Amino acid sequence: MTQRKVMICGDLAWAHEECKQLFDGLAEVVRMDSQTRDDFLAGLKPGGKYADTVGIYRHNTSADRIGVFDKPVVAALSEAGVKWVAHNGAGYDQIDVLECRAKGITVSNTPGAVDDATATTALFLLVSCLRHFSHAERALRAGQWKNPLSAGKTHDLTGRTLGILGLGGIGLRLAHLVRAFPMEIVYHSRRPNPDAPSWCRYVEKLDDFWGACDVLSVHVPLRPETVHLVGEKEIRKMRKGSIIINTARGKVIDEEAMIRALEDGHLSSVGLDVYPDEPNVNPRLLEFPQNALLPHMGTENQDSQRKMEVRALTNVRDFLVQGAGKDVVPEMVSKL
Amino acid sequence: MLPRVLLCGNVEFALDELKHLLGGIADVVTLSSSTRTEFFASFEPGGPYEGTAAIFRRNVSAQRIGVFDRALIMGLPASVRWIAHSGVGYDQIDLEACRERGEYLSIGVSNTPGGESTATVALYLIISCLRHYSAAQRHLLSPELGWRDPQYNYAARAHGPQGRTLAILGLGTIGLSLAHYARPLGMRIVYHSRSKKGADEVPPWCEYVDSLEGLLREADVLSVHVPLNNVTRGMLGEREVRMMKRGSVLVNTARGAVLDEEAVIRALKDGHLSAVGLDVYPNEPNINPRLLAFPQAVLLPHVGGETYDTLRAREIKAITNLKDFLIKGRGEDLVPELRS
Repeated sequence: MTQRKVMICGDLAWAHEECKQLFDGLAEVVRMDSQTRDDFLAGLKPGGKYADTVGIYRHNTSADRIGVFDKPVVAALSEAGVKWVAHNGAGYDQIDVLECRAKGITVSNTPGAVDDATATTALFLLVSCLRHFSHAERALRAGQWKNPLSAGKTHDLTGRTLGILGLGGIGLRLAHLVRAFPMEIVYHSRRPNPDAPSWCRYVEKLDDFWGACDVLSVHVPLRPETVHLVGEKEIRKMRKGSIIINTARGKVIDEEAMIRALEDGHLSSVGLDVYPDEPNVNPRLLEFPQNALLPHMGTENQDSQRKMEVRALTNVRDFLVQGAGKDVVPEMVSKL
Repeated sequence: MLPRVLLCGNVEFALDELKHLLGGIADVVTLSSSTRTEFFASFEPGGPYEGTAAIFRRNVSAQRIGVFDRALIMGLPASVRWIAHSGVGYDQIDLEACRERGEYLSIGVSNTPGGESTATVALYLIISCLRHYSAAQRHLLSPELGWRDPQYNYAARAHGPQGRTLAILGLGTIGLSLAHYARPLGMRIVYHSRSKKGADEVPPWCEYVDSLEGLLREADVLSVHVPLNNVTRGMLGEREVRMMKRGSVLVNTARGAVLDEEAVIRALKDGHLSAVGLDVYPNEPNINPRLLAFPQAVLLPHVGGETYDTLRAREIKAITNLKDFLIKGRGEDLVPELRS
């Protein structure tokens, strides 16, 4: 009997040892080394280098070479007998999950593993924007000390209201981080979160939510219904001088509307770790020195990355051993 | 005639409170001198500061008349009996001289304690140092790169605060505020102070370390929160920096002179310190240009207490200390060194 395979689709950076240990005696680990989609699809065919793959560890870096897991890829995976795709990352918008479900492939992600790192990044951006620290650092390194800065335009966190759009794992983590100052916290989600502490006030109507925040932090996944969820209308409902923080996905915000609001001062600053067309950053964002702009660093540290890799690999292993991994994405559970 | 109050450094954010608190209680005059000689002369009979009973002081006044050193304190007339400093650190005021003026001439000094603003700076520096966010932002902003620098191994160099030990040197208001901000990040908090704090003063998860050396050896991140005085000047030198773990992070939001800057630069150079986060420097506003050569150095221009909210709160507190001195003979925030 040919041994079943586990495919590493997007190289591991840290968890090589863990990978060996997890699959030793269980499955053969094969590295996806295709440079093109054609080569990848060919490899999945009977007799090809990826034949007999039942589970896949997937990282977004693989998209640079073979593209995203869209309908054609999902079809080929299904044909080849793949039953599990363990995505490394909280956001899995690069996988057509509904197509996977239709084709009998289960998709898991790595929630929790990213919560600390991403929430810490959001806190960093929030502080930077309220205090104009990005501008301050640049002024110092340009030999200007603090001359270009206006202290009177900066603020402490205490007593200001943070609005969390999407109170999942990351949003909830951020709520705990800012409660220490304390900030007031309001949130909007599709449904109230039963794990939310009493000091997280749920705002049921989106329309009421925008005007309740001094700082808005975006924590919703990117789906067709969340594209431009934060648009012109929504931004204009926010208080004058508000701040927007985005560590989720760039496309959730209508970038043009956001920039217009920066230009006329309706938004005092934005703190971003994500952009609609990474790695391209709209140069107009750079015109506002009070903005804080990171190049998608959310989970770019050794501790998080290793944890995420191990979590995704463990999902594949649990599928092999028990028939299912723990972190099945919500879309897999049919709501019909 | 109303007692006179001299503002050495403007009130900017609490002008309404100034009127409200001192209206009908004091005659308020503003520093108009550009040199120390002019300053002293203005206290003479007929001069604008004649009969001043109390001074509101901000560090920015040092640009015109210098700091409140022994010479200035001893040169103040007999009428001055209180200095209400607006700011947490009062190292620019010679307290010894204030005491030594004598029993009926001594000057009381109050400051404006309060932790949030500066503790927030420390928290920012800690996260930025651990995650290398300062360099990452510069890379995105640079026209050549426009995103990450492929040569800079962020993932290998960057760490989360979770599970790491934050060592706080000096657990006053600012240090304690920082402890509260850092704890939800999952950091282990240890501290060293002149004396261990009581159980009613600090949460149980603030672990006391009874020596400076012990503290340094525990730290993944060391954050400095001691006032500058003769004991703390240069207290973190070559020996102390080398006691820290290799790869650790040093953050200073207190006073530049607490650190031996050369020792810190050497440690950055050979990687003993993986990063430093500084808001203060020995000779502000001058920055040692060699610090700028380190992309992993996170450098802020002494913005510690500078938010609208805190500057305003400090002004109100200082003015309130003035009012309490004028009416009751003593401001609440008399500095600990002058409490008998």
